[in-house]
Amino acid sequence: MMRLAIFLPALLLNTSALAQSHTPGGMPPPSGMSLAQSTAMRFPQRVRVGSLLHRLVIRPVESQTVLGRVVQVVRDGDGTIELVVAYGGFLGIGSRPIAVPIDATVLLGTVMEIVAYTPEQLRHLPTFTGAGTTPLPADTVLRVGLAKPSH
Amino acid sequence: MRSPFRPAAPPDPAILDDHRRLIRSLQRRRLIQGGLSLGALTMLTGCDVRRPASVQAALLAIRDLNDSLQALLFDPNKLAPTYPASMVLNPPRFNAYYDVMKVKPVDGAKWRLELSGLIGDKRPWTVEQIEALPQRTEIIKHVCVEGWDYIGQWSGVPFRAFLERVGADLSARYVGFHCADGYTSSIDMASALHPQTLLATRYGDDVLGDPFGYPLRLRMSTKLGYKNPKWVTAIEVNNVRPDDMWDKPGYSWFAGL
Repeated sequence: MMRLAIFLPALLLNTSALAQSHTPGGMPPPSGMSLAQSTAMRFPQRVRVGSLLHRLVIRPVESQTVLGRVVQVVRDGDGTIELVVAYGGFLGIGSRPIAVPIDATVLLGTVMEIVAYTPEQLRHLPTFTGAGTTPLPADTVLRVGLAKPSH
Repeated sequence: MRSPFRPAAPPDPAILDDHRRLIRSLQRRRLIQGGLSLGALTMLTGCDVRRPASVQAALLAIRDLNDSLQALLFDPNKLAPTYPASMVLNPPRFNAYYDVMKVKPVDGAKWRLELSGLIGDKRPWTVEQIEALPQRTEIIKHVCVEGWDYIGQWSGVPFRAFLERVGADLSARYVGFHCADGYTSSIDMASALHPQTLLATRYGDDVLGDPFGYPLRLRMSTKLGYKNPKWVTAIEVNNVRPDDMWDKPGYSWFAGL
């Protein structure tokens, strides 16, 4: 029993000290590279619009700060596909919708990351009104880039 | 009261003379240091924290003990939970110890699966030959040591069937994997023969994507994610434990779920 009491805390120490990734994954695109070029380098994968809805959107940082949730995917007047995110607030209260180009985002398993905007830039994005955009149906298939976890 | 352990005839004190030099060389201060750290750091089983190497050695010893216990508890016939297709995440989650932009896709036409070690027929395999073998699909959970998980649908050749087909020595202790990106991994034979262990070539309804290990990866329901090497190029059956990339930095080698 005594021996078990000695081993158990050490077992905990042993496992809690581990972490597999050592570099952030969702790096912003290198300067001079367009968002589309950056997505092309991230092995874009086919994904249904319906499966993007309600996903958590996080910052590509170790703390995985939650930015909001996907509420809609739209095509704007120029043909750019944008992800509408209920941004900010606290526990979903007080958030406002903002739109970011889909190529500024990456898939990270069940969540998404916004990789091409700083928190400052996101704060200054206008509130999305839907004017001049067309919502994409849930069965539309898009291509979204990948990232490795940022922790 | 006389101690019941006291010998009836005490030993001859002269035997101390034979070892007097050794007794002098015992450094009393070091004994006290060791005693103190043992008292203060019972969690680290008496190692001196001023010597990181000894801390590391103690932790690795505990990890190895943990691994042996996991191997002992492993039931080769117990199946991991499976899930309905509606719960499958598509596309799957990418993970590697480097960024996705550094993934180097493997040319399936030139790819060959090399075999070595205790295997009867060591002829290399092509993608087509592997796809022609009987297939099996598993909808299982991928659990990462980092704390995340997802449910995925993997199809491919049951690894047991493959090992039997190539005449591998199934009584050997280990199976090792080498990958196109330099990754290495090794597993115990019992886990290799588990019914849900696959040499996966497909995810969902599609051929495995480049970032997820095309053309061939190992997929096991019984071990953590890092024991599922992607872009496998060579398999080795051996009684000496083959290289394993995460073994050295201190990750659990058995990594059972």
